[in-house]
Amino acid sequence: MSTASRRAAVSLVAAVSLASLAACGSSNDDASDAGKGGSATTAATKGVSHVAVTMASGSNGDACTPSTTSVPAGPVTFSVKNESATGLTELELLQDQKIIGEKESLAPGLPAASFTLTLGGGTYQIYCPGAATETIDFKVTGQASATPTGSAATLLAQGASDYGKYVTTQVDQMVTSVQKLQQDVDSGNLSAAQKQYGEARPFYEKIESDVDGFVLPGFKPTDNKGNLDYLVDMRASNLVPAVGWHGFHAVERDIFANQKITAKTKQLAAELTANVQKLAQLSTTLTYKPEDLANGAAGLLEEVQANKISGEEEKYSHIDLVDFAANVEGAQQAFAYLKPGLTAVDATLTATIGQRFDTVNAMLDTYRDPAEIGGYKRYTAELKKTDANKLSQTVQALQDSLAHLAEKVATA
Amino acid sequence: MSGLSTSRRRLIQGAGVGAGAVVAVGAGFAGGRASADAADIPATDDGELVDLNVEHAFYTGSHQAGIETPQQRHTVFMTFDLTTTSKQDLQVLLARWSAGIAQLQAGLPVGSVQPTNPSGVPGDTGEAYDLGPASLTVTLGLGPGVFDDRFGLADKKPKLLADLPQLPSDRLRPELTGGDLSLQACADDPQVAYHAIRDLARLGRGTVNTRWTVMGFGRASAGKGQTTPRNLMGFKDGTRNVKEPAQIDEHVWLDGTDGEQAWMSGGSYMVARKIQMNIEIWDSSDITNQEQVFGRTKGEGAPLSGKKEFDTPDFHKVVDGKPAIPPTSHVALAAPENNDGIRILRRGYNYTDGINDLGFLDAGLLFVAYMNDPDSFVKLQTKLGGSDKLNEYIAHIGSGIFAVPPAPKKGHYLGEALFA
Repeated sequence: MSTASRRAAVSLVAAVSLASLAACGSSNDDASDAGKGGSATTAATKGVSHVAVTMASGSNGDACTPSTTSVPAGPVTFSVKNESATGLTELELLQDQKIIGEKESLAPGLPAASFTLTLGGGTYQIYCPGAATETIDFKVTGQASATPTGSAATLLAQGASDYGKYVTTQVDQMVTSVQKLQQDVDSGNLSAAQKQYGEARPFYEKIESDVDGFVLPGFKPTDNKGNLDYLVDMRASNLVPAVGWHGFHAVERDIFANQKITAKTKQLAAELTANVQKLAQLSTTLTYKPEDLANGAAGLLEEVQANKISGEEEKYSHIDLVDFAANVEGAQQAFAYLKPGLTAVDATLTATIGQRFDTVNAMLDTYRDPAEIGGYKRYTAELKKTDANKLSQTVQALQDSLAHLAEKVATA
Repeated sequence: MSGLSTSRRRLIQGAGVGAGAVVAVGAGFAGGRASADAADIPATDDGELVDLNVEHAFYTGSHQAGIETPQQRHTVFMTFDLTTTSKQDLQVLLARWSAGIAQLQAGLPVGSVQPTNPSGVPGDTGEAYDLGPASLTVTLGLGPGVFDDRFGLADKKPKLLADLPQLPSDRLRPELTGGDLSLQACADDPQVAYHAIRDLARLGRGTVNTRWTVMGFGRASAGKGQTTPRNLMGFKDGTRNVKEPAQIDEHVWLDGTDGEQAWMSGGSYMVARKIQMNIEIWDSSDITNQEQVFGRTKGEGAPLSGKKEFDTPDFHKVVDGKPAIPPTSHVALAAPENNDGIRILRRGYNYTDGINDLGFLDAGLLFVAYMNDPDSFVKLQTKLGGSDKLNEYIAHIGSGIFAVPPAPKKGHYLGEALFA
């Protein structure tokens, strides 16, 4: 498998809306850096393959159709155009559960969005959540990327190191997305700001357990005034009055509960941008050990249990299921990067965890609603009453097995 | 091990009275009382010394423990829904639960309490570590769902296992009703019972979701040799319970006849009902009314036709032109004399869920009964639900029915025959 060609820089929003933004550290669409780091393919000499994916509504629901399902190994550009599929917003290229490349916010009528990856030979999946056929096998012929070899410990360490790039990508997209939120707030467009809030939230939720430990220079660890996690993600329920309310949820309160954008809202949004930029800077210093990924994944699932299923996280917007899905994705990515090494350590546990992620994802799929902010049903009091039990027990089954990860990887 | 065993040895007094409760008694349930404080303890406490070292074997190859076993003082009952459709998952669950129950009944943890690896997650949650076996029994039941179309086990379905019909006065809440599997843990230390259910639920996670549970304190039925305890209405409960081995053979155990599944031989059927009591209303009713409702005196527990608790009720006795025992009293409606000899083995517990949203005490009876034909319960409850004077003060809010397979031999597991 191709750990090297993992990840093109994929921006959140369609390329068209990016042009005017001063993207902070994120690579541009189409500017592939995915081949960096030792892809074993030699396909670059053969030129770039092109795969056009069309999203369209049809008689049997929305369909996601690639122009070809087989390309030679080497650089591959995917361009995704949503013609008419209101139910589809996202496309991912997966290999062995890892997200190799993705495009989000694919609304009908927008220009095609594209990303380029360098792919080694093997089987991949094009994943279009919400389509009549969600997963389409995608074959890359020719030489496979070098299969990682070495001891379990080496594989785990390699996976942990590669995972750092996933975090970087999410952080960069978060910055871009929060800047867009600030723009919408500044322009006084309430509905655009609400929609963008739902777009911006998942990035933090995917990697929260990696980046929630930063204290700004000059502050004591116990002083929330310098705690970036507090400043970015504090909820009303945990507020420290002396520090006041900052961050995502203060903006959420203004635009969802108060339904008003005031000068204070603009100030909060600008401050949030500044803080996620600081966070992006600090996160470049992070390094990852395998047990960090294991503990981080478990931590994200604890977040689900503690704050999402209770409906406490997104008290005003009720997009808790959006955060829920992001927490699960973040946990699953950490697991996927550990998987090659973990399989060598404990194949049974690896299989169990993989299956339980599948179960949780299948459950989450039933809540998708492209018409709603963030693409999931609003987690209302009624939905909580009927579904919280199922949601939490299904996640707990995953969490119980995931809890054994740290022990396995630490002793490998 | 003997040193450990000695340090674990603790004895508690049945009624919890008397400071000198810890006494030197050899061993064994119902050991004679040798305390200097004997005079302080009511005479009805005879035989109620509890030895927390008593251990019940799991791999007996005959009946599951927790049915004929002298009734312990506490219970945690829980039902589960299977979330899998894989027969193999069910098989693995029953095998793991069996091994777990065997460990727990021996007073042992189900995994490491103190892992040596600093990143290790404890296999056993630890709260019963060194509490001793405390007479723990965990009794497994298989609900009708096990035999539906999910697992291809329809041909193994116990002949009489089916959801209970709607019965008179039922006020069942869906969230307190049903379950594909049940576990009843009973022990003389409530923490031992709780620990057993907690860790078995944990072992099953991913294959089963929890459905409903009741934590019962204080037994509300008597077995052979036990004094009759009282329910939360203050009345003795279980005076006429099925107690003698011959009665149990006749009314409780399946013996492979009657076209019943051969693999259920040595097993039974279990009915569980969560019965809520309107405590405050009951407490404000006068003694005559209370006794007419039960058909017994409150203090002695004697039938209203007699003097002593174990006097046989005389349903024909007339006093002042009226039956001494009202025909709609609980005793009259439930008596085998008035029900073609139907008997069931009751093994219930008092429970409390705290305070309800009206500020009233939320408490009642976890009714648990074993029988070789669930229709025995249906017949009795049809009558009780229709006319029982008690209905004014109670509501059946939870319900479940389960087939109780026989206990496995060493090297086997509960329900193994399903997968043969």
